[in-house]
Amino acid sequence: MLAIVLEATAKIGFMFALIMGLVPVLIWAERKGSAFIQDRTGPNRAGVLGIRLAGLIHPIADVIKLLAKEDVVPAMRHKFLYALAPMLVMIVAMSTYAVIPFGDYIMIGGEKIELIVADLEVGMLFVLAIASLGTYGVALGGWASNSKYTFLGSLRATASMISYEITMGLAIMGLFLIFGTFRLTDIVAGQGDLIWGWLPKWGIIVQPLGFLLFIASVYAETNRTPFDMSERDSEIVAGYHTEYSSLKFALFFMAEYAHMVVAAALIAVLFFGGYQIPWLPRPVLEANAGAMLTGGLIAGGIVLGIIAWAFFRRARREKGWYNDAREREPGFLGSVCVVLALVNLGALGLQPWAISELGASLYATFAQIGAFVIKVAFFSWLFIWVRWTVPSFRYDQVMRLGWQIMLPAGLVNLLVTALWVFAVHQP
Amino acid sequence: MSYKGLPDVVTTRRRNLLESAYFTEIARGLAVTGRHLIRNLFNTDKMPTVQYPDQKRDYGPRFRGRHRLTQREDGSPRCVACMMCSTVCPADCIEIIAGEHPDPTIEKYSKEFNIDLLRCVYCGLCEEACPCDAIRMDTGIYEIAAETREAFVVNKDFLLNNDKDGTL
Amino acid sequence: MAKLTIDGKEIEVPDGTRLFDACREARGGRDLPHFCYHPDLSIAGVCRLCQVEIEGMPKLTIACNTIVRDGMVVHTTSKRVNQAVTQVLEMHLINHPVDCPICDQAGECGLQDQYMDYGLYESEVEKTDKVLKKKAKVIGPHVILDQERCVLCARCTRFCEEVTGTGELGIYNRGDRAEIDVAPGVELDNNYSLNTVDICPVGALTSRDFRFQKRVWLLKSTSSVCNGCATGCNVRVDHEGGRIYRLKPRRNDEVNGPWMCDKGRMTYKDVHREDRLDRVLVRREGELQPISWAEGRQELLGAVKPGGVGYVLADPGRSLEELVLIQRLATELVGEEPMAGGVSDDGHDEGDDLLLSADRRPNRKALAWLDFAEKPAEALAGELSGASGVLLVFGGDPLAHQALADAASRMRVVYLGTHRTATAEAADVVVPLSMWAEKDALWVNKQGRIQRGQRAVLPPGDAREDWRVLVDLLQSIGHDPEVAGLPALRRLVAARLELEDENLLNRLPEGGYAPPRLADAPTGGR
Ligand code: SF4
Ligand code: SF4
Ligand code: SF4
Ligand code: SF4
Ligand code: FES
Repeated sequence: MLAIVLEATAKIGFMFALIMGLVPVLIWAERKGSAFIQDRTGPNRAGVLGIRLAGLIHPIADVIKLLAKEDVVPAMRHKFLYALAPMLVMIVAMSTYAVIPFGDYIMIGGEKIELIVADLEVGMLFVLAIASLGTYGVALGGWASNSKYTFLGSLRATASMISYEITMGLAIMGLFLIFGTFRLTDIVAGQGDLIWGWLPKWGIIVQPLGFLLFIASVYAETNRTPFDMSERDSEIVAGYHTEYSSLKFALFFMAEYAHMVVAAALIAVLFFGGYQIPWLPRPVLEANAGAMLTGGLIAGGIVLGIIAWAFFRRARREKGWYNDAREREPGFLGSVCVVLALVNLGALGLQPWAISELGASLYATFAQIGAFVIKVAFFSWLFIWVRWTVPSFRYDQVMRLGWQIMLPAGLVNLLVTALWVFAVHQP
Repeated sequence: MSYKGLPDVVTTRRRNLLESAYFTEIARGLAVTGRHLIRNLFNTDKMPTVQYPDQKRDYGPRFRGRHRLTQREDGSPRCVACMMCSTVCPADCIEIIAGEHPDPTIEKYSKEFNIDLLRCVYCGLCEEACPCDAIRMDTGIYEIAAETREAFVVNKDFLLNNDKDGTL
Repeated sequence: MAKLTIDGKEIEVPDGTRLFDACREARGGRDLPHFCYHPDLSIAGVCRLCQVEIEGMPKLTIACNTIVRDGMVVHTTSKRVNQAVTQVLEMHLINHPVDCPICDQAGECGLQDQYMDYGLYESEVEKTDKVLKKKAKVIGPHVILDQERCVLCARCTRFCEEVTGTGELGIYNRGDRAEIDVAPGVELDNNYSLNTVDICPVGALTSRDFRFQKRVWLLKSTSSVCNGCATGCNVRVDHEGGRIYRLKPRRNDEVNGPWMCDKGRMTYKDVHREDRLDRVLVRREGELQPISWAEGRQELLGAVKPGGVGYVLADPGRSLEELVLIQRLATELVGEEPMAGGVSDDGHDEGDDLLLSADRRPNRKALAWLDFAEKPAEALAGELSGASGVLLVFGGDPLAHQALADAASRMRVVYLGTHRTATAEAADVVVPLSMWAEKDALWVNKQGRIQRGQRAVLPPGDAREDWRVLVDLLQSIGHDPEVAGLPALRRLVAARLELEDENLLNRLPEGGYAPPRLADAPTGGR
């Protein structure tokens, strides 16, 4: 019993850390990325003792600011619902992670532990169910604030979420048909196969149209550009969370990014093979663990060395620019890189080429988790990238796209897949 | 007006099927923004951003900065409180109280002369209107900050001694 | 009738008309350029600006000193005329200091106007060549003189000789040294001295009171009626940002012509006096303490109840509408007897034979019309000592009379007024009212002419339109006069005065209206 509790706690802890770790990074990436895309420098001021980490300190400063801020609330709000809404949004965003597999399994003390918090039979249905609960947070938040802007914002958000939920469900229906299961672990496992011996059987390969429909509808679900009509500054201020401030606002704000992470994880799991590394199935990983580890350490050491060199060069160039603590930053970061590179190379002394079987298994697990995290990070970044690339749709365009194009397309996709599956599995 | 590299007249045409499908166009857009991103990532120093407090832009001599009141040769303020500036001021931010000067050849002078720098829009109409060249905006000072709203209302003494490093 | 052609336009004017006036008519109300001509003064013909070309005459002629003749053909804008006017103007400006930035006249200056119309040339006179004269010379309690700016139009001297007959001002010296001045030891201190400032076309004579207070182009003007005495001179209230800066006469040939007296001009100061009432005050623990309007209203309505009020006192300083409402209220509250339109001893001072009336209340005539009798202080004291309950006082300062104060000491005094007078100090409830410039109101001058004064500025603090307070009081005692706005109120007043047209007071002519049935034979202000 204790073991189960411990196991669950550890897995929840990992997921929580992943989200909570990614959120500030995403906020940073959003700011810095948008800045670079628009030929600006972005945030680069907040720092600790001159260490600014290219603006990574800003989210920390933000959190401190939001924590310390006065909680300004509208006088005529619905008190209970107003307080409930941000929590609901955050809870919904977090609980979806329960059914997302972030790795295959890990062997600890001879026990095989599945790397998923709750491996539900109906995993994907759970995701859809929970996601539709998210509408409540938004709708309640907008309504309970008793303001026209928030009301309109939540109205729009609700409309787009509800419309696109249907398409989202339809888009992945094809996948279920092909893999024959709702269980996300099975879907991921199924994507480890190769078609014709060379093409990974990823969701995007077998369901390209489904992928396009799905990615469009998760963008609408998360209310991100180009479907961000619920918080269009020039029309309805900040949309449904206009009247929120301080920590409650922070919850809405973080929930948006948490939603992004979950959406990215779903894309990765459903269409990009989750934790699977293409052409490197687990047995191959385990067999070649020693060589890969050694090569990785050496490569890592070299890359860190190059980065360190770049930092030192920068330190030399920036000398005398600021005349304050900021000048120490490149030198400091360079030294850190040197230390890390040395650690990397020093680890070679542990003879990684002669790794044990347990070690090889662990290596394979972490490599797969790493692959998953990289995929999630990439799709999270894609959200940001798209936001700073495309203009938004108008409300009516969103609705027309959802109901008149995506919904029929989803149906067609489902029909074609069904026929194909029927033909292949002809008894 | 035409911008370098851009046509004067932009003609629209019907989108073809691929373009209407949107996804390829998004991909093209992503390529454009991605190009900017990568270019700037490896060229942080060449970005046009002015790192403001560390770097400062040079403004031309005609730049309209914070106002100052000029003085006659003998050091007395030139302003005769004719109210031309406060009349012309579109922000209505100049407040002058006129007084009787002990010297009957000067006759009128400004007992009080306050400018609310928060309301000022730095249009320069006041210096344009002044018949006595008594108010000028040639200090070049544009960093105007204070901790209270009241501190932004600067008085005659301040404006008379408004040299380059005068802070509020 | 004489028929003549001016600038190609044929007009017909009565015989004896001045060509100057005929030109104005022909030019669509636009005056010829002029400094010295003034319709209420004799003709001087010294400024030479009003020159016109009359066909058949070899030289240009001044229009102000020419009487029209049948068949005259006149040109006012020909090249010759324009050239002549420009040259005359240039001559006027030879020694002019052109210190418009510090000149109070700037913005309403004849020289500036004329220069914009006819000048616009580069000056040929060096600044250093100008003849210097005295600047900023105080020549009287109200007027300050700048000799350099004078254009020697002699309007001021003619005024002092012909209108006031005092002759303080004269032109001294000759040529370009000629200057306006007062004789040594003489001051320009008659009660009409500020009219010289009005008629001075330039900034030579300016008002000491208005000096440097405001640039004239910033002022807004509202027409009103002077409340200084029973003459009721028509005035223009010049104000800006809720502050009155000066009063100027408004021409009304039936009342004041183009003039007004200095005393009247200074009455605007009472509007902004320190001791204006702006909050409701109630006596608590022996002290008058300010309270909010809502509370104060309750206090007032609580005090003013039928049976509770023992005596009602009005004042001829209140407007016609208010007096009608006060009388009505008093009748409802106390019946016919225990009320008075004011203390007849108050508001009398020395008058003169020009405008200033000995009766210093603007509305005594209205009291007479309403049969709202004033009573002498003695008699009032007697009546008051017989009364009990609340003494309701509207304006004035009756309790400044010791006898009245003694008589009222047993009563609860409710005072609605404008200043912190002795009556206010003796009162238990004090409600602020607005003054004449703060309300749209009707005044009846000593001729029996009803004149309208418009609201120039807002009353201070909690004070509001007085008639609304009175209507509120009437409603609270159950006698709603059913007036929702000024037009209805004026119909009520017209009905009370039994005027033939109930809307007459709503469309009062510019110069006021004297109901023939009520007015005495018009005595004329002048
Ligand atoms: S710069 Fe323009 S806005 Fe500012 S004080 Fe002068 S006139 Fe007024
Ligand atoms: S315009 Fe010039 S002289 Fe006139 S008040 Fe302004 S600063 Fe003084
Ligand atoms: S009198 Fe007229 S022209 Fe002369 S200084 Fe005054 S405003 Fe200017
Ligand atoms: S002081 Fe004025 S009114 Fe008198 S003569 Fe001179 S300009 Fe004319
Ligand atoms: S107005 Fe006729 S001469 Fe002055």
